[in-house]
Amino acid sequence: MSLFVQRSDTSEFRRRFRWIALFMFLAFVGILVRLFQLQVVEHDDNRAIALENIVRRVTLATTRGIIRDRYGRVLAANRPSYNVYVVPRRLDPETTWAKLAGYLGLQQEERMRLEERIAKIRADEGPRRDQQILLKEDVSRDAVAELSANASELPGVSVVPVPVRYYPYAEVGAHVLGYMAEVDAEKLATLRSSGYVEGDRLGVTGTERAWESYLRGTRGWEKVLVDARGRRRQGGEEIIGSDARVDPIPGRDLRLTLDAELQVGIDKAFRGELAGGVAVIEVKTGRILGLYSKPSFDPNALSGASGKQVIRDAFRRLYTDPLKPALDKTVSGAYPPGSTFKPFTAIAGLDKGLIDQRASIQCRGFTKFGRRTYGCTHVHGATSLHKAIAESCNVYFWQLVSEYQVGMDVIAETGQRFGFGAKTGLGINAEASGRMPTRAWMTYRNKGRYLQGFALNAAIGQGATTVTVLQLGLAYAALANGGTLYQPQLVRAVETSNGTVVQEFSPRVRRQIPLDADNLRLVQKALKAGAQEERGTAFRARIAGVDLAGKTGTAQVGHRLVRGVEAERVWYFNRDHAWFAGYSPSSAPEVAIVVLVEHGGAGGKHAAPIAFKVIRTYNELAEKRGAAGGAGSPTRDAGARP
Amino acid sequence: MRGNDALSARFDWPLFVGAVLIALLGVLNLYSATSVYTGPVAERYISQLYWLLGAGVVGALICAFDYRHIERFAYIIYGVGVFTLVVVLVLARDVRGSARWIEFGAFRFQPSEFTKLCLIVALAKYLHDDPKNEGRTLKDLVVPAIITAVPSFLVLRQPDLGTASVHVFIFLTIAAVTKLHTKSILAFLGTVTVGIPLLYKYGLRDYQRTRVDVFLNPEADVLGKGWHAYQARVAIGNGGFSGNGYLKGPQNQFLFLPDQSTDFPFPVFAEEWGFVGSVVLIALYVFLCLWSVRIASQARDRFGAVLCVGVTAMLFWHAVINVSMTCGLMPVVGVTLPLFSYGGSSVTNIMLGLALLMSVSMRRNVVRPERF
Repeated sequence: MSLFVQRSDTSEFRRRFRWIALFMFLAFVGILVRLFQLQVVEHDDNRAIALENIVRRVTLATTRGIIRDRYGRVLAANRPSYNVYVVPRRLDPETTWAKLAGYLGLQQEERMRLEERIAKIRADEGPRRDQQILLKEDVSRDAVAELSANASELPGVSVVPVPVRYYPYAEVGAHVLGYMAEVDAEKLATLRSSGYVEGDRLGVTGTERAWESYLRGTRGWEKVLVDARGRRRQGGEEIIGSDARVDPIPGRDLRLTLDAELQVGIDKAFRGELAGGVAVIEVKTGRILGLYSKPSFDPNALSGASGKQVIRDAFRRLYTDPLKPALDKTVSGAYPPGSTFKPFTAIAGLDKGLIDQRASIQCRGFTKFGRRTYGCTHVHGATSLHKAIAESCNVYFWQLVSEYQVGMDVIAETGQRFGFGAKTGLGINAEASGRMPTRAWMTYRNKGRYLQGFALNAAIGQGATTVTVLQLGLAYAALANGGTLYQPQLVRAVETSNGTVVQEFSPRVRRQIPLDADNLRLVQKALKAGAQEERGTAFRARIAGVDLAGKTGTAQVGHRLVRGVEAERVWYFNRDHAWFAGYSPSSAPEVAIVVLVEHGGAGGKHAAPIAFKVIRTYNELAEKRGAAGGAGSPTRDAGARP
Repeated sequence: MRGNDALSARFDWPLFVGAVLIALLGVLNLYSATSVYTGPVAERYISQLYWLLGAGVVGALICAFDYRHIERFAYIIYGVGVFTLVVVLVLARDVRGSARWIEFGAFRFQPSEFTKLCLIVALAKYLHDDPKNEGRTLKDLVVPAIITAVPSFLVLRQPDLGTASVHVFIFLTIAAVTKLHTKSILAFLGTVTVGIPLLYKYGLRDYQRTRVDVFLNPEADVLGKGWHAYQARVAIGNGGFSGNGYLKGPQNQFLFLPDQSTDFPFPVFAEEWGFVGSVVLIALYVFLCLWSVRIASQARDRFGAVLCVGVTAMLFWHAVINVSMTCGLMPVVGVTLPLFSYGGSSVTNIMLGLALLMSVSMRRNVVRPERF
């Protein structure tokens, strides 16, 4: 057979074709089996993975509740902080950057620093090269306007509003309101179960902390579609399905009992003094109108908008200042009350029937006890109880101890009835309980030896006795209202963000102090004389037309060295605390007031004038509201919201 | 030209319709695969149409031309093919780690697509001239093996494991159609069992070895090297029984599929049309392959028969490897899905192959001319 014929003979292959065909057929069948497995058997798993690829649950921020004063003025609210972000790789270092720096008004030094940072990221070849960085926090509204007007010229630049806490009254009343801070890792471990996540801010002190669970609100979430490059995509409702979104619930608003304008008045009255605290309390309810501690801090600086450096600086100031701005001096600091305690010593003696109001003693300016001499302020001469309170005679009270058996335990019993030595239950900030020492306690502390000098000190509010400004205020309120000791009240109502009252709090009586009405009247008369009669210790500080009754105090301070203070300033820390405690008006009291000027010196000279000024402001405000109609009725002042 | 009327009467309609259906589905799918993009990528379906039409015209000319003229120039064609591969190795620039293209101005041309046809032509010519109806041994296949090894090795050096293995698979398929002795087959299988591990160890580049590793253990590195294979599989499975609907496959729309238009058009299709669509498409490929084997069996000479077997093998292996790699039955290699994947070289090559099939088919019963 010739090759030509053979070439046309395909019989060599003939028997193999069907095997090849069968092989191909089976291969495709195998593939179909695999496709059946993926598309039918394992469809649900693959569907779930595909959805997981693209559906992201994005949390929706909630808004923190607003804190208002009793008249609806905003004390703490939220405002947007506009933060500028850039993607360095998309930022043209010549044109765009120059424009951006211009709009932001960057200083030369800051500009160089940021430029360096951007250049560094631009040079990065790794995964960081496409990242976005936070360029500047809380830029001004003018800058935001410029940036958005010129957005088309600024590729790679974006402005993101972030809510931050805003305190319109800044330093005034900062201790009561408190401030916010980012939750730290340690706290987060315990708070995670309550829904906190990294970067959350929460109240750290004051009302912000105590009422955190009311104020914070509940986060919502929303499902969105994101492609493989992390970009958001619109639409796709049919992919997401029905459970696409849970709306956030805004936090509850709080209506406080405070009067913001009175707080401002207190701040004005306190000008000229370095440190101390003031409490103004409604005597018939225990509601707090004013609670003021100095020196203060600006919670706006701490609460986050202006960047980490500003927060760090503010904290350093807060904890290195020897005047202790971080301390709430109205509730967290305990001080010897000095002579402001004398009315309670008097009531202790009177109610036990140990002393007679008509009896008088001779004050020769000092008294001798054992080998020691105790000095009075000056020679008071013949002194009755009235005069002893009004003109603050120590000798009278020492004699109560030495001659009339008004001992430590008698004083302590009355003191405890008026709430000294125990926390008031205000509920914000770490409250000091103060100390109302008994004979047993003093003996124990003095290693088993009791000295009568302890009782002499206790009678005039010195020695181991310490009180807080708030305790003293509530005790004077009880003196003014006939013996009802109230629990202090700071939050009047909880409201929803649209103003509906969710919960309203009524005044709570802690106890009714059993008092003899005549004895009380006697003390009240003496307190009035202290502020309004010519020899009264507070008389020189009086302001015409301000009807105030009260007692000054000048509490001695244990001499000591203060750490971190230069020697030439130590004298300040050894100066007496100046006190004034009282109420107004004297005949039908409305408010109790306590003023403490730390290391202020004499109470009549440094604390009493502040009290008069504060009560004058209180009267002016009441008059103004009376004229406006609806005196004292809390309204919502929507206009005050930022 | 004699018998032109007869020729057109013998036009192989089933082959034509089968190919056209796949090509149309391919263009439709390409539109969806690139619908997420804007700019030139989104217009790929239009270029694909142009390529199909252009290659169709060339194909028609080839059909009209008797394939036996090709037999005469078979080794020259083969030589040109090998030469272009050498040119690629010398000239081409790297694209993602391998050099496969030669550039002519705006055009990029991938010689390794065409060397498959050159190889088929050369093998057909060799076997045409070497009839062994009494059966053959491995020794009789040494020359075809060398003919195969040269372009395969050059392609492997680019490096392009997928295309190189298609060359080898074409040779194996053609070898399988010859009358090999059973003893030879067993000897061959034995050699392969020993040879493949050695090849894996010494013959592969690092990245090629990783691909094989990823295939063998896909769950180990889902976010890294196995990402493409994993997401392609998820896309196919996400199609379910009846699919998500045209233009509505989330894995594709949300860019989880890599190279949707070139290497991974099948997952796009499977996600949108589901198992039903997959069965239809696979059935079309089954039909095309089996019909082509039938054409081979009816070829009027050895050259035509081997030519058809080679082209069929090319279609078959491309389809099987591509679909298998997307559904996790094979490692990911750059092998296109015939008439479905975007790419001028790929489309033209497949169309030329189909034209050769058509040419053989149309002449299966034509009276042999006196002298050829």
